[in-house]
Amino acid sequence: MTVRADGDDELLRAVAQGDRAALEALYRRHAPWLLARLRRRCADPGLVEEVVQDTFVAVWRGAGGYRGSGEVPAWIWGIGIRRLIDRLRKTSPVLRAAGDSLAVSAEDEVLLGVEHGDLGAALGRLSPELRSVVQATVLDGLTTREAAALLGIPQGTVKTRASRARRELREALA
Amino acid sequence: MTTTWHADPAALAAYVEGSLDDVRASSLEAHLLTCDRCREGIATSTAADAIDHVWGSIVDTIDTPHRSAVERLLLALRVPEHLARLLVATPSLRLSWLVAEALALGFAVIAANGTSGQDEELVLFLFLVVAALLPVAGVAVAFGPGIDPTYEVAAAAPMPADRLLLIRAAAVLASSVSITALAALALPDLDAIAAAWLLPALGLTAATLALGTWVRPLVAAASVALTWVLFAAAAAVSTQDRLAAFRPAGQVACLAVIAASAAVLAHRHTLSEGRIVR
Repeated sequence: MTVRADGDDELLRAVAQGDRAALEALYRRHAPWLLARLRRRCADPGLVEEVVQDTFVAVWRGAGGYRGSGEVPAWIWGIGIRRLIDRLRKTSPVLRAAGDSLAVSAEDEVLLGVEHGDLGAALGRLSPELRSVVQATVLDGLTTREAAALLGIPQGTVKTRASRARRELREALA
Repeated sequence: MTTTWHADPAALAAYVEGSLDDVRASSLEAHLLTCDRCREGIATSTAADAIDHVWGSIVDTIDTPHRSAVERLLLALRVPEHLARLLVATPSLRLSWLVAEALALGFAVIAANGTSGQDEELVLFLFLVVAALLPVAGVAVAFGPGIDPTYEVAAAAPMPADRLLLIRAAAVLASSVSITALAALALPDLDAIAAAWLLPALGLTAATLALGTWVRPLVAAASVALTWVLFAAAAAVSTQDRLAAFRPAGQVACLAVIAASAAVLAHRHTLSEGRIVR
């Protein structure tokens, strides 16, 4: 295992030149959190591993296209989440439904954060399906279409849930 | 990167495990994008074998050579993988070569469609002469030092040199014959003469392969091409018929050449006394 102290930008430049050791360094640094973050969005560990693989193959081939706009981790995450969405579009709805089993029951969630007035608690009080929409559209920065593919629900549902979530958050913070 | 806080190891471990609540997880995810130290914390909590396993797959994917359009087509036609690779390395089976062949014939067809009377016969003559030569040109650059990128590998491979030669020649012949046949369909006044290049093409290719027993493919092809052009021109001049070389007598001569070449190829080893020139 190679340990390189270079910054992400330098590593990415070296990857663009075909430096495989730089790719491995970048991978060792960023694959663990990417794996964990994707696992929270997809219950199939095999699929998540394939997505991480796809992502770093895309980094290898597309490193030359990185223009230094934004941070490298955010760039990698952008590739990763879109690869996951592409994969989910291709898999059967049965597999996708397995992801829902991760969600905790709405009652438990509401009980957790009743007495706090901050944004975190307000988020926590949202029902899991509203929160997953907020997470996809606001925190992960996906479009309505991508969020719909990730969550396995129609685009119209994403829109209505997003506006409901906004309304509930506004009320909770008022 | 300046950050004011760091996640505690228990929270990182809970996050990796998937047991951290959604709100704290979202906050941590935003933080992870900018914090090296917490990313390292995630790495220590992650099972190393998953990371190593995925890295192995990445290396495999990166190392898999990119398949060309022609190779993908061959694989789709259920050609075995090793044979497809061998064929794709043939310079005269590259897409650029096939396109060049199609263009050359296309111009001939356009010329034939734009002329009439005596000129039309001349253009047809040129079309037939060139059509018969295309596979010869293809075979000439199908193998040999300096031309074939896999020459060194093939020379050392445990595969009979003859087999490689015949496989590639057959593939070159098949591809250029199909392209030529398509072009011939576009000739004006389509009749039997439009197919008269086929036997000459086979004959010339066979003769090139046979000559290749003694000389390099490029030399063999050049000699065959020169002989063919002279023969077609001489036949045209002596009989006052521009297409004389393509009439039945000429076709029979081509059959004879094919038979003689086949005999030479069958006895290649004895004839070349073990010195196969490739």
